[in-house]
Amino acid sequence: MRPESNERAFYFEGDSLAVARRFAVCCFAESRLSDAAAPRREKQRAAQRNMAALLRGLRAGRALRGLARAVAAPTAPNPQSGSLSRGFHRAALRLQDESKSDKPPSSSSSSSTTYHEHGHRADEDPAGAPRDAAGEASRPNTSYQDQAGDQGEEYETEEQLQARVLTAALEFVPLHGWSLDAVAAAAETLGLSSASTGMFHNGAGDLVLHFVAQCNAQLTETLAEQHNRVQLGQAEPKKTADFLRDAVETRLRMHIPYIESWPQAMSILLLPHNIPESLKHLSTLVDDMWYYAGDRSTDMNWYTKRAALTGIYNTTELVMLQDSSPDFLDTWNFLDNRIQDVVKMGAAAKQAQATGETVVQGLMGAAVTLKNLTGLNQRR
Amino acid sequence: MAASVRLLLRRAIRLSHGNTNVTAAETAGRSGRRLAPSTCRCFGDAAGDRSTHFGFETVPEAEKAKKVYKVFENVAHHYDTMNDAMSLGIHRLWKDALLHAMHPQPGAQLLDVAGGTGDIAFRFLEYVRSQRERQRRRAARTVQTPSWRDISSSYSSSEEDGEEAGPRESGAVVCDINKEMLKVGKRRADSAGVTAGLSWVAGDAEKLPFDDDQFDIYTVAFGIRNVTHIDQALKEALRVLKPGGRFMCLEFSKVTNPVLARLYDAYSFNVIPALGEVIAADWKSYQYLVESIRKFPDQEEFKIMIEDAGFFCVKYYNLTGGVVALHSGFKL
Repeated sequence: MRPESNERAFYFEGDSLAVARRFAVCCFAESRLSDAAAPRREKQRAAQRNMAALLRGLRAGRALRGLARAVAAPTAPNPQSGSLSRGFHRAALRLQDESKSDKPPSSSSSSSTTYHEHGHRADEDPAGAPRDAAGEASRPNTSYQDQAGDQGEEYETEEQLQARVLTAALEFVPLHGWSLDAVAAAAETLGLSSASTGMFHNGAGDLVLHFVAQCNAQLTETLAEQHNRVQLGQAEPKKTADFLRDAVETRLRMHIPYIESWPQAMSILLLPHNIPESLKHLSTLVDDMWYYAGDRSTDMNWYTKRAALTGIYNTTELVMLQDSSPDFLDTWNFLDNRIQDVVKMGAAAKQAQATGETVVQGLMGAAVTLKNLTGLNQRR
Repeated sequence: MAASVRLLLRRAIRLSHGNTNVTAAETAGRSGRRLAPSTCRCFGDAAGDRSTHFGFETVPEAEKAKKVYKVFENVAHHYDTMNDAMSLGIHRLWKDALLHAMHPQPGAQLLDVAGGTGDIAFRFLEYVRSQRERQRRRAARTVQTPSWRDISSSYSSSEEDGEEAGPRESGAVVCDINKEMLKVGKRRADSAGVTAGLSWVAGDAEKLPFDDDQFDIYTVAFGIRNVTHIDQALKEALRVLKPGGRFMCLEFSKVTNPVLARLYDAYSFNVIPALGEVIAADWKSYQYLVESIRKFPDQEEFKIMIEDAGFFCVKYYNLTGGVVALHSGFKL
């Protein structure tokens, strides 16, 4: 039916257009052969209305399919296909990336410290702050400006400092668990008093969310690098299933140093006041993975794909918690199997749909034949 | 409008940091009737002839400290009883809330200024002790089957227990300008049997007798409104705190709810001095107390003052609908 190969993408795109086309043909045929019980003009008008609607639908469908076909090829994006939506999607994601890696000084120039501003910025910044923390030797004095804020003397903003403390606290997590004790120990190594843990109102939740944001940022970097290499032709593009498998594995491997205490971290993430944040991190993670896998869908598939990958990721994470095989081989096998399941399900869904279409066509044909036989289609 | 004018003035003053600007601001402030009288008086006159508020009276600055000293000398012996009577025991909840927000880590050093009878210090020591207990219990639980190495190390550590119980021992220092209040506090400590880690120092909040970078936590509970120069006290707090240290202030503040405000005013001006007369035979001191509460800047203004002194991450929590506000800032 479609010329392109199926293993490129296992999204659940329906061939509803073919069905619509067949239905249109049938209706047209029916209206042609219908008899003159009702006035002919009315019948014609009704038929025309139906046809107009169907043609509109067909045209829209064709446009969509053109889009879908064009974006299905991740390596060679077709610039011609009406790529408004695709461009917007990519731009939106790029904005998201930028906002994540935005240098904190510019975003937190208004330091006047109200609680909500802090809570909000402290969540946005950690993704970008680890890069700041990494480049500490060449710390930019970009916040050393005489702004309306109070931080003329500080070389970094409060958010940067908080991010630095949290990053340092990760070292103490194996010893103290995900708690403020780890943060206090880290603050002391940085030369701050342990009372500075009072800055973190969410306590251990701040630490865990910071870690999750940091890991997600790392993964996005890795995926972007890979993508660039593929663009430059230095590497072979992977199949979607393999790509996703590698992405999930890379991301889950970041948990390995903390795997002993990871159940505690997961339980912290599930606390009601942390759920919005953790869901946000999870959804951006899955979205990034699909984006770099080449998904540019703009219909229901967007949701189904992300839902599927979220399910795979969460279950694999849980399996990893109780995995005791060397280098977590069981986990990666589990991951493989789940991805294969989804691929097979996609193929099966397509087959079922094709079968369904054929059956419908057969039934329609049978109905028309019956009508012909019984003489209902004749116009006398 | 008044608020923004005030803010602008503050910014101007902070940026220049000079005395000359203070006078300019002050004259500008005096001319602008919209400014609250307390801000005018905070910056004071150019020379000598400064005056400030003592309750609803106006007194020369030099005298205020003496008068406050007298007040607390008189009330010292009935201080705790009066606290319970006036606040119907709620002051305990406020102080507990302060400790809860503080969440001191083991090994923290506390400075309780205007701590007087030592309420905060006692609670702090209690909190740290129970925390230590919990830590020890948790450690014991995780090491149910200790290895020979653990057992031998626990033998050696039990010998040095007197010197070093754990990584660091917490301590609290109670500092008050009024020796009577300190005496009452010491008596309470002795009767409660609390001696370890507690010291009593007489000192002025505007000029603390401590070195720089000494303490992890600085608290002042219901004391800072009695200080003549609040900004000076805040600067001293910044000085004695370690980097990363926390400043916490519990103080009466503006009630947000207007209905509650009416009731609170009626209660304050009618019931409290009467209670003072009955229990402590001192109407005037409690009149001063209630008036000084009204003279103290409100939550936002005090927050700005704390920020101006150099603290970061300043925020406040209203307790009991704004009757009491808990301000917290960090020295970063």
